[in-house]
Amino acid sequence: MERVRIALAQLAPALGALEDNLERHRVALGEARDGGANLIVFPELGLTGYLLQDLAAEVAMRLDDPRLGALVAETRGVSAVISFVEESADHRLFIAAALVEDGSIRHVHRKLFLPTYGLFDERRFFAAGDLLRAVPSDLGAGIGLGICEDFWHMAVPQLLALDGAQILINVSSSPGRDLASTNEVGLGTATSWRTMMRTYAQLTTSFVVFCNRVGLDESITFWGGSEVIGPSGEALFSAPLYDEGVFMVDVSLGDVRRERIALPLLRDERPELHVRELQRIIDERAGLSMRDTTAEEGAEPGLDVMPLATPIER
Amino acid sequence: MTAESAGKGNVELFELPAELAIDTSVAQRVIEGFIRGQLRQAGFERAVLALSGGIDSALVAYLVASAIGPERLLCVLMPYRTSSPDSRTDAETVVEALGCASEVIDITPMVDGYFGPDSDASALRRGNFAARMRMSVIYDRSVTWGGLVVGTGNKTEGLIGYTTIFGDNASAFNPIGDLYKSQVRQMAVAMGVPISIIRKAPSADLWPGQTDEREGGFSYPMLDRLLFWRIDKRRSIEEMEALGFDRATVERVDRMVATSEFKRQVPPIAKLGPRTSGIDYLYPRRRPGSARG
Repeated sequence: MERVRIALAQLAPALGALEDNLERHRVALGEARDGGANLIVFPELGLTGYLLQDLAAEVAMRLDDPRLGALVAETRGVSAVISFVEESADHRLFIAAALVEDGSIRHVHRKLFLPTYGLFDERRFFAAGDLLRAVPSDLGAGIGLGICEDFWHMAVPQLLALDGAQILINVSSSPGRDLASTNEVGLGTATSWRTMMRTYAQLTTSFVVFCNRVGLDESITFWGGSEVIGPSGEALFSAPLYDEGVFMVDVSLGDVRRERIALPLLRDERPELHVRELQRIIDERAGLSMRDTTAEEGAEPGLDVMPLATPIER
Repeated sequence: MTAESAGKGNVELFELPAELAIDTSVAQRVIEGFIRGQLRQAGFERAVLALSGGIDSALVAYLVASAIGPERLLCVLMPYRTSSPDSRTDAETVVEALGCASEVIDITPMVDGYFGPDSDASALRRGNFAARMRMSVIYDRSVTWGGLVVGTGNKTEGLIGYTTIFGDNASAFNPIGDLYKSQVRQMAVAMGVPISIIRKAPSADLWPGQTDEREGGFSYPMLDRLLFWRIDKRRSIEEMEALGFDRATVERVDRMVATSEFKRQVPPIAKLGPRTSGIDYLYPRRRPGSARG
């Protein structure tokens, strides 16, 4: 498939209202399909809302849940990314995003990085995923899924690209904050994300698809601004801030090949260098190596500063 | 920076510290969505607020009217016998400009009825009591009007504790509680709040001639900047001094913030059972089934 029509479902999920949100997904899916979309991307926790706290267990679904199955069945002939609270067989709760194609679940990504600082408290309520995989898709390009904070860790987009992804998809529930007039669009959060997405697209020479929700959970307003960035780092489409809608963008997958021939960054990557140096850093932090290359002289293994030899005189 | 570059016209209305300048169109979008969302999630279509004639409640009235329409807003004016007549006039100007419903309820009989004719109660006690009478009236009007009570406190007074707990800080939700006074002024200009309200010295109007800045011994632009760098930007005392702030002033404001922590939080519950509200029973305020009727 050379030309892919991407639908960004920039929705405002209702907090904890699973049935309502399932219906909104069905409607948006139908609208996107009628508009000729090949890939429909929904935001992080689009089926449940974000600020769930103890509601998380009440809206969680196993992958064999018939409610999820009914939505999945509606993806005949198209690809979609949907996000929900997944309960594993051993009853851990994950923030999950599934690649769903032609009526079946092809891949489930469990959020790897759970922000638990500032206004975030995810680690209290959710388990972190352990797997990162790029997967083939019916679109004829490898897909790499990440969820919101996952893309605040540089290794994630890079690993996905090295693993064969040509379209990096990030689904988000990003709360807008830092409302300074000095920012590009009046919102610090938007400026940060836009900078990152363009950088990732350029450095991985891949498409980056960012779908961020809108609407309100409690005090928090989500800012939307979903985007599709081309492999050269150029924004192909930017959805409006705060408006709910299903936005269509056409991309040419040939752009990946053109960019990677012209700028062979992925060809020149040195993953074996990463592994070697990361292993050294891990060993030094754990105190397992003979000598920590950045620690102070005399520091114990695993510590980077030498403790005071004598107590401070009072 | 002055309001000239941020607001309308060529008149310098107030001093706006550059680091506090916000994009008012984004702020308006967020705040109005917040107001509509709070009402919808609670199952309400109307709102009620206490309109003093000052800039904070005037701005909130403009934001609510813009978000849901003036016909769904009730402004309640609650003067006390010593309140400034100018406050009343300014509040009436807002009501007239917006075309919203209003009521005037004199709280003098309630306050004087409690303290008695010859009371030597301090201004602090009287001020707090008046604020709590206004809270009682506004919550009663919440029932008769069928609307949620909208808070009008700003971030500056919230942080230094220049509020009456369970009085003027009581509300169902607060659209401007994360805006410093300087940002309230910037928003007020953008929303078209009458110039006379933006220009006048902020006052709790607890006694004739009182102003916040004279009573507190600070200017709002300085205090807003101090709070912004100290709290939002996490600067140490030493770093504050390097930014040009007076150490004694920083320490004094630090104490005001710390001693008023209790006003910004829900009262603690002694932990006894398996699940306790606010500790390990943690639900969103608004969830399926929580909306009225």
